[in-house]
Order: sequence, then C-alpha cells, then structure tokens
Amino acid sequence: MGVTCVSQVPVAEGKSVQQTVELLARRLEALGADKQGTFGVDCETYHTAATLGTQGQTGKLMYVMHNSEYPLSCFALFENGPCLVADANFDTLMVKLKGFFQNAKANKIESRGTRYQYCDFLVKLGTVTMGPSARGISVEVEYCPCVIANDCWNLLMEFMQSFMGSHTPGIPSVFGSKHDSTYSPGDTMVQYMELFNKIRKQQQVPVAGIR
Amino acid sequence: MEAPPVTMMPVTGGTINMMEYLLQGSVLDQSLESLLHRLRGLCDNMEPETFLDHEMVFLLKGQQASPFVLRARRSMDKSGMPWHLRYLGQPEIGDKNRHALVRNCVDIATSDNLTDFLVEMGFRMDHEFVAKGHVFRKGIMKIMVYKIFRILMPGNTESIEPLSLSYLVELNVVAPAGQDIVSDDMRNFAEQLKPLVHLEKIDPKRLM
Repeated sequence: MGVTCVSQVPVAEGKSVQQTVELLARRLEALGADKQGTFGVDCETYHTAATLGTQGQTGKLMYVMHNSEYPLSCFALFENGPCLVADANFDTLMVKLKGFFQNAKANKIESRGTRYQYCDFLVKLGTVTMGPSARGISVEVEYCPCVIANDCWNLLMEFMQSFMGSHTPGIPSVFGSKHDSTYSPGDTMVQYMELFNKIRKQQQVPVAGIR
Repeated sequence: MEAPPVTMMPVTGGTINMMEYLLQGSVLDQSLESLLHRLRGLCDNMEPETFLDHEMVFLLKGQQASPFVLRARRSMDKSGMPWHLRYLGQPEIGDKNRHALVRNCVDIATSDNLTDFLVEMGFRMDHEFVAKGHVFRKGIMKIMVYKIFRILMPGNTESIEPLSLSYLVELNVVAPAGQDIVSDDMRNFAEQLKPLVHLEKIDPKRLM
C-alpha cells in the first residue's frame, strides 16, 4: 500500500453529513476522479474482562479492525501498542477468548463510502457511523507509488488542498515514527483507530431540522 | 475458562469450526531412515520437505482454574513465512470407536510482531522448544516426523539439545467438524506404517 493519510472533515455549516460528503464528491469528480466501487473500514472494541487478575493495571482496550481493501485480513491493535496483522480466523479466536476479552458491541464504529481514483491517488470518502447514527466524515488519501512517508508528504498535502481546502490535515502522527521505513497497511489502520476514537468522543452531530 | 463445546456453538459469520484429528507415535533415532523410506513410498510424490520451527507456548491466566493456551510458531529456516498462531481446544469426548484424538482448532497466520502482541494482551510465555524434522502429505493427511529440542537459554535458539533419542511421529488432519470418516482413513493409513511405528490416540490428560 502506498503512503496514506486518513483525516476527518467537519460537517459543513448548516448541512448534513450526507450533503457534506456529496460536496466533497462533486469537487473530486470536477478534478477528474473516477468512481471505483465502495470501501468499508470497521472497528470493534474489546476490553479485558473483570475476571482477569490485575496487577494494579487498568483494563486495556484492544481494537479489532477490518478493511475491505484487504478482505482476508484482520488488524488487531492496542492504542500506543503493537498492531498485529492476521488472517480472518482471528475473529474466530476472539470468540474463543470470550471469557477474557469482552466485545463492547455498542462501541462498534465503521466508515463506509465510495472509492475514487485520480491518476496515482486513491481517495476514499466515508460516512462514519456508530450504530444507526452518522457521526462524521472520514477522508482517506493514498499516493500509491510511494511507500516512504516523508518522501511524498508535500505532494499528498498539495493534492488534498485541491479538494479539501482549509480542511487539509497536518502530518499524521504515525509518519513521525516512520523515518525512512516502509509504510504499511497497519499504519493506515492506526490512523483510522485514532480518527474513530476522536469521533466517538465528539458530540453527536445534531440532526438538521427538516425543511 | 475453556470455550464451550464446539457442538454447542453457533457458526459465526460463516466460519466453520475446524477440528484437528491426531494420531501420535514415536521411533528411535536408529529407525528413522526406514520410516522415512516407507513414508516416501506411501505418501504423495513431492520434493522431500524438511522444517526447522521454533514454537512458543503462551498462557493467559484468569480467575478460572485452567489458563487459555495459545501456540506461536515460526519457521527458522524459511524466510518470509508468516508466524502461525494456533488454538487447540480440549479433546472431544467422543465414542471409543473414534480412532483419532479430535479437538477444535483455530489456525491463524500473523505478522511477525506476534509475541509482542500476545504479551500486550496479557499472555505470558510458558515454555518454548525447537522442532526439526520432515513433513509428508497424503491427500488431506499430514505426516510429520520430527525431533524436539530443548532451548538451553531462553530466547537463544542457537544453543539447543535434543530432548530424547527418538523422533515424534504425528499424523494429523484439519477438517470441518462432523467428518468422522476422516479418522477411519487415518487408522487405515496408520496400519500401513506398522510395525515401524505404532500410531495411536494419546490423550494428553493421561500424561499429566
């Protein structure tokens, strides 16, 4: 996977989540991007059950994520901890570990939307939902030919400015630790995890009054 | 707490519960060559395959009496292979006519930061060993003849010593739950290896 930046775009003033996504989509299509199917990234939260003996440490949160770009894989990560890339059977293992790790089903969060290709860029505009409610918008931009984060950040930023304008994000924190090492899908999942955590903490997007 | 018996669990998300059928035996070092010779004749025609693996067994202790066991295995001689994480359930208490040991198994290929991740989850390594030997295949059956080595210094796989003067022989099949005919095929194959090696159903609980 090429170097990827995942960020959040705030809902436009006076508009709904869906309208803001459409606004971004129109800007992308005006640039010349082509629609290329859909994508989905989801995240489930597990926490250590009360049965685990604690040496004074608080229960840890483990996130198990899936990305439609890698349908046979499963990503498991801890905040500020290692990110494990495993095959789809990892979900079966989590069922077996029911007694030790409890699935906080209410915390399941996902982002789904359309994939756009523009030359060497792959852009995914997603609506982030938690249960039945839409909570925000995620934008994932990938520059496919490059795998060294610091080599193409400026190019990525310039491209994002062309359709995100002032909402262009700063350099993702995962890039900081990369230096010259290769970018990997796990880094994208870490960015999604951080985005989902941020959105979970935000106030629910107020439902626009029906006109 | 062990996971509930497989037969009671619903099929989740389209995955089928896989079962491992196992028969084990052993041969002394001096009989190895004749066994390998017979296996080469009986098994599928393929390049002779050897392996050198390092396996670590991790335990997660909860308030329950029996800890949760996971096995992490990596290849020491083949580069680029994923790590292999394996969960094995308790042997199913089936009828005595079942010829092989049957237990639920979940096999997962993972990236190479598996041990760090397991420790982060709360697992602690209980023991580790190195396995070196040969692997053969016949249809869906896998036959392994290997020697177990004790690791003298934790984490150092260079200094190892054999655990015994024999080789462990395992015949196993991983198949979806409910296919008991598999154990009949295994028993028939095991018959052909007699008297070089006697493969039997060995209940791990009886050894403890």
